[in-house]
Order: sequence, then C-alpha cells, then structure tokens
Amino acid sequence: MVTKNKSNNICSCGKNATIFLHYANRLLCETHFIEMFDKRVGRTIREFGMLKKGDKVAVGLSGGKDSCVLLHSLAQINMPIKLVAITIDEGIKGYRNNTLKTAKRECEKLGIEHVVYSFKETAGKTMDDIANQKNEIPCSYCGVIRRYMLNKAAKETGANKLATGHNVDDIAQTLLMNIMRNEPSRIWRNSDNENFVKRIKPLVRTPEREIAIYAMLKGIKLDRADCPYAHFAFRSHVRKLLNETEERYPGTKFKVVNSFFEMTNSNIMEQTIGKYGKKKNTGKMSKCKTCNQPGSEDMCMFCKMKKNIS
Amino acid sequence: MTEIIVDNEKKKMKFRGTLGDLLYKLKVRREEVVIKLNGKIAPETREIKANDKVEIIKVVFGG
Repeated sequence: MVTKNKSNNICSCGKNATIFLHYANRLLCETHFIEMFDKRVGRTIREFGMLKKGDKVAVGLSGGKDSCVLLHSLAQINMPIKLVAITIDEGIKGYRNNTLKTAKRECEKLGIEHVVYSFKETAGKTMDDIANQKNEIPCSYCGVIRRYMLNKAAKETGANKLATGHNVDDIAQTLLMNIMRNEPSRIWRNSDNENFVKRIKPLVRTPEREIAIYAMLKGIKLDRADCPYAHFAFRSHVRKLLNETEERYPGTKFKVVNSFFEMTNSNIMEQTIGKYGKKKNTGKMSKCKTCNQPGSEDMCMFCKMKKNIS
Repeated sequence: MTEIIVDNEKKKMKFRGTLGDLLYKLKVRREEVVIKLNGKIAPETREIKANDKVEIIKVVFGG
C-alpha cells in the first residue's frame, strides 16, 4: 500500500508532526499528541465512571508499555485516589526478569507502592515448569492463573478497583477470538460480582501503537521482548489479521470495540446469544468450594489447573 | 544512501518514497512499529531524503 506524502507534514500548530492518525486523517506534533492522549484517557475514565474520590486502585503492572503508561496516566489524574502496583511473576526466564526491573523502576520513579506475587508461590510451579510439563498451549494456563492471582492480590492490598492496561487492540482481538471460537457468551462473561475486585480499563479507547509512542515520548523504557510462548497463542494470529486490516481500512479496531459497546448497551446480546448461552456458559458466578474465590462452577479454573499440574 | 535500522539490524539502501512506502517494501506492518527519522519519531507520511537515517522499532509484542 502506498502512503501519501502529506505535503507539509506539520501539525495544525505549525510544528513538525510526530504521528499521523490514519483513522482521523490528522497529523499531530509531540505536544498535541500527548495532550490528545491524556484527554482521551480522562474522557474514557469519565465515560465509564471508572473512578471515584477515595478509590484505592490496584494497577496490574507487568512492566510492559501498556501497564507502565497506565500507571503514569493514573498517577497524574486530578482526583484523590490511592495507587498500588501489582506485578505477577509467572517465572518465564529471559522475559519476565526484564519487565520486572522496569516495573520496579517506574514505581520508584512515581513513588507508588509495588508488590510482586509469583506463580511459584501461588500455583506451586513457574510458567516454565508448566510449559515443560504439559503438552498443551501454555497461554491458557498463564491467563487463568494470572487473572486469579491479580484478583486475589488486589483484594489483599485492600483495593476496591483493579486497573489493567488493556487497549483497543487487546479488546478487538479478544472479541474476534471469541467469535471465531464460537464462544460468544465469553464476551459478556460476568466479572461484576462481589468476589471480584471491580475491573477498570482506562486505555480501552487507546490503540496499542499510540501507547508505545506515548511511552517513548515520556521516557518510559520499553523492553523489546516477545513472550517465548506467545507464538502458541491464537491471539498472535488474530493480532496479525487485525493489524493488516487496520492498515487497509483505518479505524477498524475502533469499530470492532464500538460494536461491542453498542451490543452491550442494547439487548442484542440476549437476542443473539441467549438461547445458546443457556446451554453453554451463561456467565453466572458462584464461589469455588476449594479456594473460596469466584468461579463459574463448584471448582474454579485455577483450582482445576493447580490440581492438573501438581 | 539511506541508513536503515530494523530492530537493531543495520543496512544501507537507496530508497525514494515515504516512510510508509519503506515499511511496505520491507513487509513490516505499520501498526506494530514506531519509526524514527534522524532520531525523532516521525509519521509514515514523511518523505525520505538522501542520507537520512531511519530506525524501525518493533513495539507490538506477543505476551
């Protein structure tokens, strides 16, 4: 695809542009990009009523660009909230060690309390152990254990909100993956339950590439490493598909995510998946009889997996 | 000659066009990289001139 040379390549303020927003046909300089970025995060927080005065927010901090930018965004928000950062160490050699250092450094820079929980302590095994032991896709284990630990850790820190760095790309990928797997009921899986710390995603309206540019402009060091198990994941395939589509049809990711919000706000979900949802996962939550944490059956996925790997 | 660095790998080549055209030629997905032109983040719409230094940094990773 040929990229047009925008004759001036300058922002409306007259400075050299840093970014071209293809979906908006707009060139922005560094200052106006950062301003737009911060405003959009603030608007997203207000749109979904994500924060209230006095909230204690646990931030899921992997040390990657998304969670680091999220931490910076929440630290500069003009509202009296308390922040605590939680890092889950899966135990993946050559990958998590680096991002752990970044997470620690960013917390020190911002003066935010930082706690680290490890797979080894909670599940009895590192992710490397699990990947070596099981002849299955490791990502499904990693996702379940990480989500379980984040919720448990957030509760232990006394937080009433759990913020994650999920962005437009992540949400669009997840939606498409659930549709491609014929698991539409998972899209609306209910985590709005008293046993779950309320989740918020302030970057849900922000594209991943813009998060990277923001991080670079703000001097947040990015670790350039792929998770060694990522190539196993269906997500990698969907990511590539979406990125290729976005290049050809700018704005596609926003449209996918907006479709989700529109469906959530109407009763289309019940109309379209209701009868199937009854047979499959209805999203109903109860408590796990083993660990007392939330789960959709008598034994939660974490306990099933822990049993399976022990 | 334009000096191009793709994920720390250096090469020199003659190229006429925009940064976006270069990504297309190198089969790099725009959505997964940030481009620096002579050390500064630049939009894909910028034209490459002789002796420019282009750095293509992968920023979207699996994980």
